Amino acid sequence: MRLLHGLLWPIERLNGGILAAGRVVATVTLGIMVIIILAQVFWRYVLGAPLNWTEEAARFGMLWMTGLMAPVAYRHGGFVSIDMLERALPRVASSLLTLAILLATLGLLVVMVWVGWDRHVDSMTGNGRSASLRIPLSLIGGEDIRFRNWWMFLSLWVGVVLLTSVTVELILRQLITLFGGRDGLQRLVEGDEDMAGAA
Amino acid sequence: MLLWFLPLFLLVLMIGMPVVYALLFAPGVVTLAVEGPRDLGILYRNVYNGMDSFPLMALPFFMLAGEIMNRGGITTRLVEFSQAFMGHLRGGLAHVNILSSILFAGLSGSAVADTSALGSTLIPAMEKNGYSRKFAAAVTAASSVIGPIIPPSGIMIIYAYVMGESVAALFLAGIVPGVLVGVGLMVMVRLMADRYDLPKAERIVTKNQTITPVEHWVSFFLLRLNIAGLIYWALTGPTSIGTEVIPGVDGAEDEIVTVGWQLWLTFGVSLALAHLFLMSMRSRVSHDFRLVCKKAVAPLQTPIIILGAILTGVVTPTEASTLAVAYALVVSFFVLRSMSLKDLWQVLGRSALASSAVLLLVGAAVAFKTVVATSGAATTMADVILGLSQNPYLLLLLINLLLFLVGMFLDAGPAIIILGPILGPIFTEIGVHPVHFAIIMSVNLTVGLATPPMGLVLFVASTVSREKVETIARAILPFLAVEVLVIFLITYFPEISMTVPYLADYLGCPEGTGYYACIAPMPGGGS
Repeated sequence: MRLLHGLLWPIERLNGGILAAGRVVATVTLGIMVIIILAQVFWRYVLGAPLNWTEEAARFGMLWMTGLMAPVAYRHGGFVSIDMLERALPRVASSLLTLAILLATLGLLVVMVWVGWDRHVDSMTGNGRSASLRIPLSLIGGEDIRFRNWWMFLSLWVGVVLLTSVTVELILRQLITLFGGRDGLQRLVEGDEDMAGAA
Repeated sequence: MLLWFLPLFLLVLMIGMPVVYALLFAPGVVTLAVEGPRDLGILYRNVYNGMDSFPLMALPFFMLAGEIMNRGGITTRLVEFSQAFMGHLRGGLAHVNILSSILFAGLSGSAVADTSALGSTLIPAMEKNGYSRKFAAAVTAASSVIGPIIPPSGIMIIYAYVMGESVAALFLAGIVPGVLVGVGLMVMVRLMADRYDLPKAERIVTKNQTITPVEHWVSFFLLRLNIAGLIYWALTGPTSIGTEVIPGVDGAEDEIVTVGWQLWLTFGVSLALAHLFLMSMRSRVSHDFRLVCKKAVAPLQTPIIILGAILTGVVTPTEASTLAVAYALVVSFFVLRSMSLKDLWQVLGRSALASSAVLLLVGAAVAFKTVVATSGAATTMADVILGLSQNPYLLLLLINLLLFLVGMFLDAGPAIIILGPILGPIFTEIGVHPVHFAIIMSVNLTVGLATPPMGLVLFVASTVSREKVETIARAILPFLAVEVLVIFLITYFPEISMTVPYLADYLGCPEGTGYYACIAPMPGGGS
């Protein structure tokens, strides 16, 4: 038990810290996305000079928002699942089932981390460059650099890495729960945060 | 061989793996076993490609607009407004709950958001008024289903995205079915009111309300402008006011030009008429009633802005959703002054949190869909379905049963992404208009949000009311029966859903196509 708590502590701190930062970035990003699209409408209708980079920039924001925020949602129990069986089983069996599901999830995510890097981020298209999104170096007298797709592709990969890290934390917590140490665990969800869906 | 991923998917889903992971786990395992690791890259890339979409961005934005409205105290305004109209009936607060859901549906595209917003105010109020808690929770859950049927709608954005339909057409087609569900639920409440002796309530909750000058003038002008707009449209639409025909010289075609001053004059007259009309109404209602209505004007402008912007073709749905966000911000910061910057930060955080989970789910479902396509499951299923019968009526019945069953186990979003591309083409082939099928599927799967075991709306209603899911699930049965009836009505009477988009000319029928030929084309695609 000491060992489990010893293992949990660093990863709990790590996830807590990174995800808190990710949450701030994602929240700001959503605000920026709104501003970008409003600017798109304004420039097209009021100024009559459509901007060509707004759509891609907003998509860029949306992908990073998802990559950074989805792990937070997962950690707070926001990924829906059917928990009928889990609730119907006796306590120990239900804990074991949860553990098995978490291990399968971990396997899936680890493979995705590997495949994602190898076949997506660090691939030909990943190293290609965007058609419309540029880093406007011309503003300071240089030449514009076309944005590498890499930066966009990285969002999902970072998201999957963070999800993996959260899964490891959840597995450790589940093990501690299984051995009866549930009361010593911190709560992951603060306040009355409920999850709303698209549905 | 590849077909094995379907049973595996159902298995891991049923034992409790989160839907997102189940959508990737099952095809992943089977792909690895059958095709080897190379194809896993395709699966991964499809998750990314599924999320990387501009039309999909309307989801987080509409979610944000709804959250801002809710935080800005709009829920209470809508509830008081509904109560002023229906509170005095038997089963008053139940009716109020349903009417509020209809109104709220025009601001938000999410049933889950409706349940938590309306449930937290109305369930305690109904309990205090003498309803049982399970009944209150059941009415809230059942009526929240209207949220994604009346535009804006997250589910229809997803459907349009996956199937390449027009979001505007789907939004328009949802209006009447959504109201119909509401009316059906009210009839049910009326029937139950006799049997269980449901209580009445006051029409006006808070007497002697006050209104700030800013809000007073904003609703003063908005109301008059809207009514004037209607009159203006009625005057200029069918007549030739404001246009002048310049005869073509030397056999050239006549030219029609608009005459600016006539249009302005017409609008001025409309404005005056609107003002006179409202002044004549003024003396007929009480002071409190008038204030309650006045306070609802600014919030209820939102759906008009959203639909207006999309229908006039000024903006895309995604852009319209940011306009809704901007309007919601202006209203809550400057008109109602009910929001602080801290609230805004929280609202942004909540919307980002909720939409990130949904977007990842969409990505995973798109990846799953591509495996469905390559495995041949789609053609197998099409063969099976068309082998059963060629009769559209029978097939529609069967498909509704299937969708209902799927809706019990799967969230509406993933269900649409996976099944839409399989089922849509089959029914287009046998003569169902794509938009009509989209509505059947969306409404059916939306109702599935209120059915156990996977009923997101039930889960939220249970959290809000602290009543067990199973208890609410039993209490909701009569209302579900009504909703199933509505599903069949819109299935077999395309007129219900298709008339509005037909009149707005959003169905893409060639010119000269008759009404019926357009909304229910002949089998084989020949319209």
